[in-house]
Amino acid sequence: MNDAQTIAVEVIGIEQVTPQIKHFKLAAVAGGSLPVFSGGSHIIVVMQGADRIHKNPYSLLGSPQQLDTYEIGVRRMEESRGGSHFMHDRVVIGSRLEIAHPVNLFGLDKIARKHVLIAGGIGITPILAQLEDLHGGGVPYELHYSVRSAEHAAFLERLRRREGDRLHTYYDSEGQMIGFETLLATQPLGTHVYVCGPAGMINHVIATAKACGWPDSHIHWEQFSAPPVGDAFEVFLARSKISVQVPPDQSLLESIEAAGVEVPYLCRGGVCGFCHTRVLELDGDLIHNDHFLSEADKAKGNSIMPCVSRAHCKRLVLDL
Amino acid sequence: MLVTGIKSKPVYAPLQADTRGRYHLMLGMGVGAAPLLRVIFEMQSAAARVLKNTRVLYVPDGGSATPEIERFRAAAVGNAQTFPGTPALLEEFRSTLARSLMGTRLYVAGTESFIGLAMKIALEFNLNKDEIRAEECGTSARRVYCIHCRATTENVRTNIASCVGCGRWLLVRDHYSRRLAAYMGVMVDAEAPGELPPLKEMFL
Ligand code: FES
Repeated sequence: MNDAQTIAVEVIGIEQVTPQIKHFKLAAVAGGSLPVFSGGSHIIVVMQGADRIHKNPYSLLGSPQQLDTYEIGVRRMEESRGGSHFMHDRVVIGSRLEIAHPVNLFGLDKIARKHVLIAGGIGITPILAQLEDLHGGGVPYELHYSVRSAEHAAFLERLRRREGDRLHTYYDSEGQMIGFETLLATQPLGTHVYVCGPAGMINHVIATAKACGWPDSHIHWEQFSAPPVGDAFEVFLARSKISVQVPPDQSLLESIEAAGVEVPYLCRGGVCGFCHTRVLELDGDLIHNDHFLSEADKAKGNSIMPCVSRAHCKRLVLDL
Repeated sequence: MLVTGIKSKPVYAPLQADTRGRYHLMLGMGVGAAPLLRVIFEMQSAAARVLKNTRVLYVPDGGSATPEIERFRAAAVGNAQTFPGTPALLEEFRSTLARSLMGTRLYVAGTESFIGLAMKIALEFNLNKDEIRAEECGTSARRVYCIHCRATTENVRTNIASCVGCGRWLLVRDHYSRRLAAYMGVMVDAEAPGELPPLKEMFL
């Protein structure tokens, strides 16, 4: 992916839907329809900040049938490296942004006999679009939505109106919890489960489903890690023959891009595997933060996902 | 020759227990009892709980009760049932799947035709590769689908066979359809009526 393929959009609507989440509507600057997508897709939003460019993945939450606007929900991250703060504090109606074409890493299984959708907090966003794909499809589904309290439940009115009794809400503030064990132990054959939310919730759903005997092919999850901050380090790009400094609050991928070297990516969240890069030399440790490499591959230490992972070392040489 | 070089012929590996599953449903016919018992013994060493959730549906050779069913029961599988033939077994299989929960693993041991028919039903219930294990044993006689009249001829052991539907002589191809659970049969003497290749036993 490179910037030539981005689409210029204008912000045409902003709504504060919970104390932490803002809902943005985007329309093509050139007018007309935006590219077709399916429920579960995300886009990369390119933000021109004061001193750097932010590129963050956000799920499309609007209806795939309605292509005159794209809708995204952005949670203000406490320890943001800038992207979510930029969206919350700097973007106003009329602001222009660049976006990359939608990509779906969290699509619905087309021949499932039932869908169980589980969302925690902002994790509701890709699921909103999946629900749009399910409406009128005749395949049974149910939604389990867990939030801190009613005031933090984004898009609750929309969900109540459209989903009726297929919607089950759980408020932490009232001590309500999704009974994952019962939920996953009682699903008919041919059910698929989809989960998006905090890491703890996703891991818990995966572990519980497996304990109930679910095979991998019926378990779907999406979790974009924000690249964590870390120590500064230096990387040498062997093919480009340049050294790049990676500051604590910038990701390896962002630093490489800032130096003018392109790395392919789709998600920038450690999920898709596109940014996979070979490590040629290393005199310390890799800090893997992705969900793509297997534990065995991580232990080998000969490759890295630069969108979210870092290194703790004096010298790192990459095959770029 | 039309018969060779087509890669859709299914290939199945020896059965193995998958104790990550919570329920285990086994289908077998004839000599398929042996691989199923092998899996059951494998499970016995893994966890006792597993066998309580194991169910066997079985068609004995000749259709009457046999020592195999006693061996299933002796191996602590409470729920083993025999059927007089494949259609009755498949009917029960289908209604079992309709009541089954996620966490079920399917094991099938029998002829390629038997496996094919079971797979076709499993597919309707969205069972994926990681939920199914199958081992081919017994005869490799084929189910042959006539592309002309759409009738299916069972138990074909020869390179060419007369279609039960239209009587045409069909050449049995290696082209297998999972949806139809059958090999494609194409009229063999279309160009020169009556000119048939020699009949050969192929699928024994
Ligand atoms: S861009 Fe998707 S894993 Fe790095």
